[in-house]
Amino acid sequence: MANQSGSVYGLTLLSPILNDEHAVPSHDLQIRKYLATLPTGADSPFAIAPGTHLARLVVMDDVIYVGMPACEEHLNSKYLVFESNFDGDLDTYLAGLATTIPQHLDAIWSHCTGYPGAGDAQAFARYMKACQIDTTFFFAAVNDKSVTETLVALQTQRAVADFVATHQGVDPAQTQREFIEFIRILKVTPPPPPGIMGPHRNLKTGGRNE
Amino acid sequence: MSKLNPTDIQGFVLRGYNMPYARYCFLHFEDAERACTLIRHLLPIITTGQLWDQGKPHSTVNLAFTHQGLVSLDLPIATLISFPVEFQQGMQARGGILGDTGVNSVEGWDEVWREGKVHAWLGIHALSLEALDARSAEMQSLIAETGGARLLGNQDAASIVMDGKVTAKEHFGFTDGFGNPDYLGVCRSTQPGQGKLTADGTWAPLATGELLLGYADEAGELPVAPVPHLLASNGTFMVYRKLHQNVGTFRRFLDQWGARYGAGDGFAREKLASKFIGRWRDGTPVEVSPDRPDIGIVQDPNRSTNFTYGNDAAGTRCPIGAHIRRVNPRDAFGFQGKLINRRRITRRGLPYGPFALEDETSGTYDPSEMDATDRGVVFMALNASISRQFEFVQQQWIAYGNDAHLGNEKDLLMGSHSEGEKYAIQGDTSPANPPFFCTGLPNFVELRGGEYFFVPSITALGMIAMGLVDPR
Repeated sequence: MANQSGSVYGLTLLSPILNDEHAVPSHDLQIRKYLATLPTGADSPFAIAPGTHLARLVVMDDVIYVGMPACEEHLNSKYLVFESNFDGDLDTYLAGLATTIPQHLDAIWSHCTGYPGAGDAQAFARYMKACQIDTTFFFAAVNDKSVTETLVALQTQRAVADFVATHQGVDPAQTQREFIEFIRILKVTPPPPPGIMGPHRNLKTGGRNE
Repeated sequence: MSKLNPTDIQGFVLRGYNMPYARYCFLHFEDAERACTLIRHLLPIITTGQLWDQGKPHSTVNLAFTHQGLVSLDLPIATLISFPVEFQQGMQARGGILGDTGVNSVEGWDEVWREGKVHAWLGIHALSLEALDARSAEMQSLIAETGGARLLGNQDAASIVMDGKVTAKEHFGFTDGFGNPDYLGVCRSTQPGQGKLTADGTWAPLATGELLLGYADEAGELPVAPVPHLLASNGTFMVYRKLHQNVGTFRRFLDQWGARYGAGDGFAREKLASKFIGRWRDGTPVEVSPDRPDIGIVQDPNRSTNFTYGNDAAGTRCPIGAHIRRVNPRDAFGFQGKLINRRRITRRGLPYGPFALEDETSGTYDPSEMDATDRGVVFMALNASISRQFEFVQQQWIAYGNDAHLGNEKDLLMGSHSEGEKYAIQGDTSPANPPFFCTGLPNFVELRGGEYFFVPSITALGMIAMGLVDPR
């Protein structure tokens, strides 16, 4: 199925942005301004709402004319593009968004044509689905584990590596004793919240280097 | 494929000279006209890529410029701004991208690199110390006669001599310099494992444009190059990095962890060292011979570089994080090695500073005193695109581990390590090959400075010297 890769759903939405020549600044600029200030770490709305692996919001102004011999074409509207990879089915995900981050959704989508608001969960879901297009070609880095499972797996990997590193050469009976205790504690340790990307990497990225 | 003209390409680009002595002179241009006079006088002396039918010369001379150097030579602005951005910025400004932070940051660099005044690299290689001094004296009098440049400083480098024999060793005791790639049209004695992997498992030369400007690269594109075409063509870019080696720290680390690895004896210590690098100290590839060094393999051109990691995905022979596996992953990322063909570099370079035999340090030695000795390797990398090739390898494969499925882990040898990092050695059920973790990673190598250089063709040197660079 075009929108599904393993257990991960790949959502693509295109919402037409209000074309009101009296709006100052224009609605697309208002969306851009809001998106530019959204937090990207643990406070990101998509870290707060459940189930998102990766999400992206883009304002698409128009198709770009690249010069002859291409023909010059234009879109009828500017669009807000929303792409999200998430766990579970679409209805549950949209309901989760409407419940946990309605203020963000309204601040962004209120600049789009026909947006009913997140207050009415059913109308919200109907609207989002009306804007949906098939994802058609979609790659998910992890497509067989939920967000929580992935976070737990990373936490476990780090903890086990630390345990092994500190127990090399230790007496087997003691290692076993401490391992049992280690597992007991690990099992009840909550995973880190989504949006925390592990230790800080002291490295600039971008350009053609990545 | 275009036929290469070796008389137009600097010899240093086409081949490693295998000469035991080198002096790298760093020049500052004060006056464009006088500097051009100097370059004009150097032109007939510059060593080209012509084959040495009469045997090796006693010494060689090569020349390369920083972007600031080209600015000082009054090249037209339209040419200057057409160079790739990373070359225009220079290595110091790229520190954030390269991970040159902490002990590797500019504060710890040699003065000559801190000030950013280096305009040119004049590289002299020689068969003997006498020939090196003679050639240096000749260069100095040329510089004095023309008033073309101010000599900011020299960096001497020399092969390590053991038992009276010139070796390819570096200061940690490993034989170095195996993995340089082959390129289409570049004439050298070739051996399997040095080019790119093909679908049938054999090796083929890389596209010329991975090394030289003006030729198609592995993507079938011309590398980003300055205008006019004639200035760029047959030239390349060089990354110069002076890498200090903390030999005391390395030996203490081996002592500390070697005592806990496998049988904990001298052989286990050597095996552990091989697991760090991916080669035993004599150069035997661990992937080919994981249990013992074998000089027969090292000396056999059909075996010393002829291996892949495809059948060792778990890293039980050569660890996934071993230095040579990280910086030249061959087929380790799948797709028959295709993912790495645009990330290869050609290495030149020599050690500098006094070599300390390991026997001399067994027993009691003071690691911090050994670390303080000024020694290491002058690392020089040639590539058509510094950002796509050298910087990518440095950033993604040395300062980061994601491509190798190693998360945030850095290269054990080269990485600038922080608290809590580990080095994992994958193993199996054999007691001689146990899985093993090293923690508390120190910095074995520290950057002491360097810069990005443009290595022009002979034609381009002439254009620069005669003020004929015309970007229109």
